[in-house]
Amino acid sequence: MLTIALSKGRLADQAIELLEKAGYDCTAAKEKSRKLILEDEKQGLRFILAKPADVPTYVEYGAADIGVVGKDTLLEEGRQLYEVIDLGFGKCRMCVCGPKELKGKLDTIPNKRVSTKYPNITRAYFEDYKRESVEIIKLHGSIELAPLIGLSDVIVDIVETGRTLFENGLDILDTVAEISARVVVNKVSMKMKASEIKPMIEALKKQVDIMNNEKKEA
Amino acid sequence: MGNNRFYTPDGFSDVLPGICEFKREAEAKLRDLFSLNGYSEIETPGIEYTDIYMDKEYVDPQGLYKLCDQKGRLICIRYDGTIPASRFAATIYKDEEPPLRLCYIENMYRYNEVGGGKQSEFTQAGVELMGSAGSPADAEVIALAIESALEIGVKDLQISIGQTKLFEGFMKGLNIDKETSDKIRNAIDQKDVVMLEKTASDLGLSDEDKETLLMFSESQGTYELIEDMRNRISNETAVAALDNLKEILDILDDYGYLKYVSIDLGLIGSDYYTGMLFKGFTYEVGFPIIAGGRYDNVVGAFGRDMEAVGFCLGLSLAIIALIRQGMDPQVSKPEVIIGYDIAIEGARKAAIAMKQQMVAEGTRVVLDTQGYTQEALEKYADDNGIETCIYINETKEEA
Repeated sequence: MLTIALSKGRLADQAIELLEKAGYDCTAAKEKSRKLILEDEKQGLRFILAKPADVPTYVEYGAADIGVVGKDTLLEEGRQLYEVIDLGFGKCRMCVCGPKELKGKLDTIPNKRVSTKYPNITRAYFEDYKRESVEIIKLHGSIELAPLIGLSDVIVDIVETGRTLFENGLDILDTVAEISARVVVNKVSMKMKASEIKPMIEALKKQVDIMNNEKKEA
Repeated sequence: MGNNRFYTPDGFSDVLPGICEFKREAEAKLRDLFSLNGYSEIETPGIEYTDIYMDKEYVDPQGLYKLCDQKGRLICIRYDGTIPASRFAATIYKDEEPPLRLCYIENMYRYNEVGGGKQSEFTQAGVELMGSAGSPADAEVIALAIESALEIGVKDLQISIGQTKLFEGFMKGLNIDKETSDKIRNAIDQKDVVMLEKTASDLGLSDEDKETLLMFSESQGTYELIEDMRNRISNETAVAALDNLKEILDILDDYGYLKYVSIDLGLIGSDYYTGMLFKGFTYEVGFPIIAGGRYDNVVGAFGRDMEAVGFCLGLSLAIIALIRQGMDPQVSKPEVIIGYDIAIEGARKAAIAMKQQMVAEGTRVVLDTQGYTQEALEKYADDNGIETCIYINETKEEA
């Protein structure tokens, strides 16, 4: 029995679609219900729907063998996992954003105050990469509000289209990391359940290659 | 104030009856096993100077439980078994002729993420074989690790063996600098194939070398894998590492343990290890229950150049695995309860004598302390699954 942790939301739907293409029947996972565990005994698969930020934790502890989760969450959580496939969807960028007047002048503000949902990524970026001290303010949503209302100088957040930013007079000041969905595997499961996990990884990889080729041709 | 008196601190918990009993039995079995294999048990202090861990950056300082002694010197609670054993071997045992065979069964203390659910206090049982450099020592330690797991009841066991010198030799052969090779090491550790492919292209590696590099992230096997790598890597260090792995397999075959082990090229460890290293896995826990390897520079850091190889078994973690695999540790119940009628002269004395004799014979027996009547005592014994109930309400006339 393999337990697969999916990040609740669009990422889960995309992951299920990909698994189906790879030859795994996911009828159980698509069941519209409020069940948190969806089991398909015949195929030996069990799906759990978790909050994205919790997926790496489930997998690190081996409560789930496999997880599908965004690179942003992986960077933030910093768990000990095998990161085996870049699925290529759920693409976006982790960026430093702020008032557009700051463009090109990010380095001129000392002791920046930075609002973010991702304090670990923010700290790593400013301390390890930029070598500067920052004051981090952890928020839980609508991060763009913070620089507008004067809570912080800049923010670190996910940017997909950038519409919210631009409409509010904000802009991208620097890119911290490229983000996409990843397949992660528990380090013990990879050994103990190799006969189930390895074929799944191979089948998924094949589908990702096909997807990427289609994109190139289009 | 005082609201914490009901709870144990984060990462610490009580070991319940039953589990504690099983744990002590397991410890006794391991102690016997180590001793029968010639390893002498030592007890290093519960507190050491932090310098023994931090001087060479063996551990992340954040993981140490740190305190100050009366002179303001930084001390810490025992973090692992290997570093103190190495200090011991290089100082107290500096004139002892090698090889040294030392072992320990101790609680270790490590700060973990708050709310992370990992234990900060756990028991490890381990051995260190010091002053012996070759494959026979490597294999002896792996074999003992396997026997330790089997001894405490872990049946589904897989041991993965890697060799840090194989990777180092491969990097050296390709003239890759330390910084890049550290990055690659990290990517291999996370099986980050995307990053490995990118690095291979950036470095302009040949197709075959690229394929070899990717093998480090996924290849497992035994003899064929070693031969395959032999055809791919010609660097001297790497070839010696392959010879070492082959010899280890040969010796483990003599032990009859080949079925438990496989070579995992992805197991390349950190700078701490200087040769083979291994991990042991079982079902139902997400972390390895065994970790070990060769660390030839550690004892030297304490002033006596001496090769060393060892392993430790995470006993607390192994017990969690066993319980999840279906083991149900039971509390040993008394087999006999003895009560007496206090109104009868000499009854108590007779009851005590009876209890003492039974204990001497190895029977689990309790003496009633509640003043039960015969009827109440029988009911109590019945309710609590105590097989034999003895009530003394008359004393034999003493001759």
